[in-house]
Amino acid sequence: MFGYYVSLALRSLRRTPVLSALMVAAIAVGVGAAMTTLTLNYMMSRNALAEKDSVLYAVQLDGWDPHEAADNPSEMPWQLTYQDSVNLLRSDIPSKQVAMHRWGGPISLENSDVRPFNADSRVTSRDFFALFDVPFLFGGTWSEEADQSPIHQLVLTSETNDKLFGGENSVGRTVNFNGVPFTVVGVTEHWQPSPKVHDLNNGHFNKSAEVFLPFGLHRAFEIYPWGNTNGWKSEEITSYEDRLNSDMVWLQYWVQLDSPKQVEAYRDFLTGYIREQKEQGRFPRPLKIGLSKPSEWLLLNEVVDGDDRMLNWLSLAFLLVCLVNAVALLLAKFLRKAPEAGVRRALGASRNAVFSQHLVESACVGLLGGLAGILLTLAGLSLIRQLQMGYMDRVASMDWTMMLAAIGLAVLSSLLAGFYPAWRISRTNPSIYLKTQ
Amino acid sequence: MLKMQNIRKSYRSDTIETHALRDFSLEVKEGEFVSVTGPSGSGKTTFLNIAGLLETPTGGQYLLDGQEVGGLSDRDRSHLRNEKIGFIFQGFNLIPDLNLFDNIDVPLRYRGFNAKERRRRIEKSLEQVGLAARAKHLPAQLSGGQQQRVAIARALAGEPRFLLADEPTGNLDSLMARQVMELLEFVNEWGTTIIMVTHDPDLARRAHRNIQIVDGQVSDLRQVAQHKQSAIA
Repeated sequence: MFGYYVSLALRSLRRTPVLSALMVAAIAVGVGAAMTTLTLNYMMSRNALAEKDSVLYAVQLDGWDPHEAADNPSEMPWQLTYQDSVNLLRSDIPSKQVAMHRWGGPISLENSDVRPFNADSRVTSRDFFALFDVPFLFGGTWSEEADQSPIHQLVLTSETNDKLFGGENSVGRTVNFNGVPFTVVGVTEHWQPSPKVHDLNNGHFNKSAEVFLPFGLHRAFEIYPWGNTNGWKSEEITSYEDRLNSDMVWLQYWVQLDSPKQVEAYRDFLTGYIREQKEQGRFPRPLKIGLSKPSEWLLLNEVVDGDDRMLNWLSLAFLLVCLVNAVALLLAKFLRKAPEAGVRRALGASRNAVFSQHLVESACVGLLGGLAGILLTLAGLSLIRQLQMGYMDRVASMDWTMMLAAIGLAVLSSLLAGFYPAWRISRTNPSIYLKTQ
Repeated sequence: MLKMQNIRKSYRSDTIETHALRDFSLEVKEGEFVSVTGPSGSGKTTFLNIAGLLETPTGGQYLLDGQEVGGLSDRDRSHLRNEKIGFIFQGFNLIPDLNLFDNIDVPLRYRGFNAKERRRRIEKSLEQVGLAARAKHLPAQLSGGQQQRVAIARALAGEPRFLLADEPTGNLDSLMARQVMELLEFVNEWGTTIIMVTHDPDLARRAHRNIQIVDGQVSDLRQVAQHKQSAIA
C-alpha cells in the first residue's frame, strides 16, 4: 500500500500546486535555517580523529600554581613544559607519542624563481605522522636521531611542495628554512583536519602546518614557539636553556595507547613521574593527570561554545514556527479532502489506512521540503563563505551526512506536522460527506 | 443475510438528543431487492449507514451474515465493509481526479488484491456497465448516468454480497434512472442482495419488497413482487 499512498500523495500535491508549494516552502525555509546553523556546528565539532578516538590521548599534567587552578574546566594546563615533554618522550609505554608546538619562518629555494614565503610550521617528534595517520605522498618521516639532535631534515605538505617544486617528488632536495638549508625527507598528502584537534591552542579552525620540523632542533635554533605560552610563577629566565627548564607550558602532547592495559600502565607511569617531580619541589598541587580522547578533548576545549549552541536552539525554534505553519496548511488541505476520505472509508479503508495515506502525503511534502531545504542551506553556507569570516570558509560546507540529516529532519518535521491533520481526517465521520457531496 | 433487532440511534448535541432510529427491526434475506422509502428525516440514511457499517448504533443488535457486528473494531468493520458491502450514492461520489480505472481500483486496493487480479476485476466491471472503452476518462468527462454506472461498477468490482444504494437515481433524468434501475435489477438477478433508499414510488415498486420508515421505525411492509420472492425462495 505504501507505493499506492505515494502515488496518491503526488497526485494530491499536483492537484493543489499553490498550497503544496506553500507547505514545501514552510518546511524548506525552516530546514534551511536550521541546517545552516546545525551544519556549521556539526563541522565545527567534527572529530577529525574519530577513527583513532579509542587509542589517542591528549596528555595533561597539573603542574600549576598551588593556590589557584589553571583557568579551564579540567583545572589543568592545556599544554606541557619542555622539560616534562622531553622526560615523557623517554617512556616506552605508548605505541607512539608526540611532543610538538607551532612555529614558522621563511622558506625558499636556492637559484629558483619561486619567491620566499613565510611558512607555518610544526616542530614535532617523528611519530606525528603515524600517530595522526598523516599519509605520505613521497618519502616519510625523519630519522629517530633528528628528535634528539639538530639534523636538518624536514617534511613538506603537498601544498608547500606544489609551491616550491611544482608537485614533483622533492625527497632529497634542499630548501632553506629560516635561512638554513634542510633536506626534504618526505611530502605529506593533503591533510587539513578541521577543527584542528591535535592543536586546539592555536585557533580551532586555523590552517594546519605547511612544514614539519624535527624536535631535536630546539637548542640549535633557539626556537620560540608561535602560539600560547603560559606560566604561573615568576621565573628568572636569562638564557634559552632557562626557558627550556622553566615551568612555562607551550607544548602539546599526545600518546597512542592501544589497549586498556597500556592506558593503565601509562597512568601509573605518569603518576610515578609526578611523584618523582614532587620530590624535587615541582608539581605543588594535588596529584592530577589528564588523558583525554580526541572526542573528549574537543568538549573540554569548548570548540563549540555556548553561543553556538544557543544559535542551534534558536534555529530549531524557527523550524518549530515553520512547522506550526505547515500544520495549519496541512490541516486546511486535508480537511478539504474529507469527502474523498469519506468515500474511501465507505469503500473499505480503515481509519488507520486513511491516517497512513495522509501521513505519507506529509512525508512527501517533507521530502520535497528537505530537498529544497538543502538548496537553501547550501545558499546560506555559500553566503557565510562570502562574508570571509576567517576560518568559516573551511567549516561552512555541507557533507553527505548533513544532506541526509537535512532530508531526515525535513521528513521527521513533516511527519510531526502531519500527524494531527492526518489523525483529524481519519477520525471524521464518513457518512456526513457521503450524503452532502 | 441482514438482521437488525431493536436498533436505536440517537445524536446528542449540547442540549438536544435526536432519535434517528427507534426500536428498528428488519430482516433481509439473501438475494432480496428491498426498497426503502419514507419522508425526509425519517431515518432512511441512518439505517443505510448502520447497515453499511459506517455508523454504529446506540443500541440493539445487528447481525450481518450471522455475525454480530456491534463489538467489531474499526479495522474489522472496514474489512467486512470492503469484502461484503458495495455502496452506491445519490451524488455518485467518484473521486474527481482519478480516472474510471483508478476509481474502481480503490476498494480493490484495500482488499489487497494483486495488480493482475485488480485489472481483471476492473475491466470486467467496466464491461458490465458498458464503459470499458472509457477507462482512462475522468468522471467529469462523463454524463450523470454514466458516472452512476461507474459507481455501480466500483461497487460490483469487489463482488459484494450486499449492495446499499442511497437514492441512486436521485440526480438522474428519467431515461438514465431507468437504465440504472435495470442495471441494479440485473445485478440482483445474479444474486446480489440490494437495499435501495428511494423517493420514487415507481422505482420502489420494482423491488421485491418495500419498507417504509417513519420517525425512525419501520411502519409498513408490503410485498410487491410475489413472483420474484418465490423465485428467490
